Amino acid sequence: MNRNNIFIHLALAFVLILVAAFAGQLNRWQKQWKSQVRIIPAAEKKRPATTADIAFSEARNFGRPEVLVKFRSGVSQATIESIASRFHDRVEDRIENAPGWESIDDLDDADPAATVAKYGSLPEVEYAEPNFEIELDATDGPLVPVRPSDPQFAEQWALANSGQRGGKEGADISATLAWAKTTGSDKVVVAVLDSGVDYTHEDLAENMWVRPSNMAPYHDDELGTIDDLNGFNAIDNASDPMDENGHGTHCAGIIGAEGENDLGIAGVNWKVQIMPLKFMNAGGFGTTKDAIEAINYVIDRKKAGVNVRIISASWGSTQRSRALEDVIRKAYENDILFVAAAGNASTNNDRNPHFPSSYNVPNVISVAALDRHDQLASFSNYGPKSVAVAAPGVDILSTWLGNEYEEKSGTSMATPVVAGVAALVLAEHPRMSVDDLRKQILAASDPIVALKGKTVTGGRINAAKALED
Amino acid sequence: MSISKDGAVENARNDLAKRLNIDAADIKEQSVEDSDFPDMSLGAAEDGEMSGQMITRGWRIRLEAQGKTYEYRADKNQVRAYKFKGKNYRI
Repeated sequence: MNRNNIFIHLALAFVLILVAAFAGQLNRWQKQWKSQVRIIPAAEKKRPATTADIAFSEARNFGRPEVLVKFRSGVSQATIESIASRFHDRVEDRIENAPGWESIDDLDDADPAATVAKYGSLPEVEYAEPNFEIELDATDGPLVPVRPSDPQFAEQWALANSGQRGGKEGADISATLAWAKTTGSDKVVVAVLDSGVDYTHEDLAENMWVRPSNMAPYHDDELGTIDDLNGFNAIDNASDPMDENGHGTHCAGIIGAEGENDLGIAGVNWKVQIMPLKFMNAGGFGTTKDAIEAINYVIDRKKAGVNVRIISASWGSTQRSRALEDVIRKAYENDILFVAAAGNASTNNDRNPHFPSSYNVPNVISVAALDRHDQLASFSNYGPKSVAVAAPGVDILSTWLGNEYEEKSGTSMATPVVAGVAALVLAEHPRMSVDDLRKQILAASDPIVALKGKTVTGGRINAAKALED
Repeated sequence: MSISKDGAVENARNDLAKRLNIDAADIKEQSVEDSDFPDMSLGAAEDGEMSGQMITRGWRIRLEAQGKTYEYRADKNQVRAYKFKGKNYRI
């Protein structure tokens, strides 16, 4: 290669670099322009967002120009001007870097949708759209999914099913969308009626109910006065509701493991108050009598001013108790929702009732369990007349004794998911009655093919929908 | 205190001997299998008992005595006679 050829090649390379750079810049300009007019869809999950993330406001037209019109190639500028003039509009601006696009100012200030339709129907026009305003707005508009910083959140398929471990993407309760609206409130108290709760667990401690200092200790005419600082233990009528089994701690974590704390998991509520009630022993079983005493305790504390609106009951048996039914009805009369496990015998509760979930009391929500594939769990009871709704209940990761986390399965695990959603709704609508709360939750379920004819709603609970006004 | 599989079988055998009023040595161990039970009373709740509705891992113990098979269910927390003459018992 001679010296002249080298210079020619160098010159050619330089020109090519310039052309590439110019093309790249054109592309960037085009993207910038598109980003100015595009509204981010609500359900778009492009990236994890945090509570600090912005929500894009509802699209609305603002000022001028009012519509953006893309004319077909070959349509002359004179024709465009003529069309605009005919509609008593004005071509406001040609959009550089976006060939064919014109911004049109409607001088009549007509409805932008009508102007878009008017232009969109022309043969010369390829596409027309309103000139959307995009503004930052912290409260209104489509929701951007919110994901917490908790390190094991990715394993919580019930809250956000991305298809992890072969599951079905989207087969979850839409928690990340719900959290764009609320992550819960420490003004809402949920009673976990169970084996107690490990209230010292690192992921629960901040969300545990503690009797307010200005509230008198619990007094029962038969039991006497009990210092219920951390809740109530109905087994020995003592003050300490510490969990010796793990089941209650697991349920508590599903409802309200602290979110965004860089530890373990997130509950359906990041913030809430869990009131621990212990009536089941270290083996995970207890007596009907102790369950009744614990429910009476909840009603008493409600009357004393505690905003306890939900009892989560992940237990049951096939034996009917009129006394238990009566006390649940008493809870209803005190505006307390009672969420109960449908049972794990794979049977139809319409034919073989399971209690307390099968009591025909207006505050009871009976909950079946779903797996990560949106299928009714193989063990789950069902009932087109008696089981209200289904929620994730297989391989559910939650808090366990000793600052541990474990995966467990059962309608026990599905129940606190629903109780947790109820707490979210109350965080948004604190004055909602128990009747409306129940109705709101059931109406917000997503229809699932596998549940057709299996539950009253035939659906999976949806936290985001439950929060809709 | 946590119960082992062997401990559960021994408890079950002694319980059955007492219920049938026979010598424990006359009871044959038919099978002991790992099993998932539907709830925390191992699907063998006593009257008036409520249990957590969580799938619970344990052992299904089958014992043979006087020509009949008897089932016990156990986990690390408990041993239960399943439908002994129609009723469940926690032992």
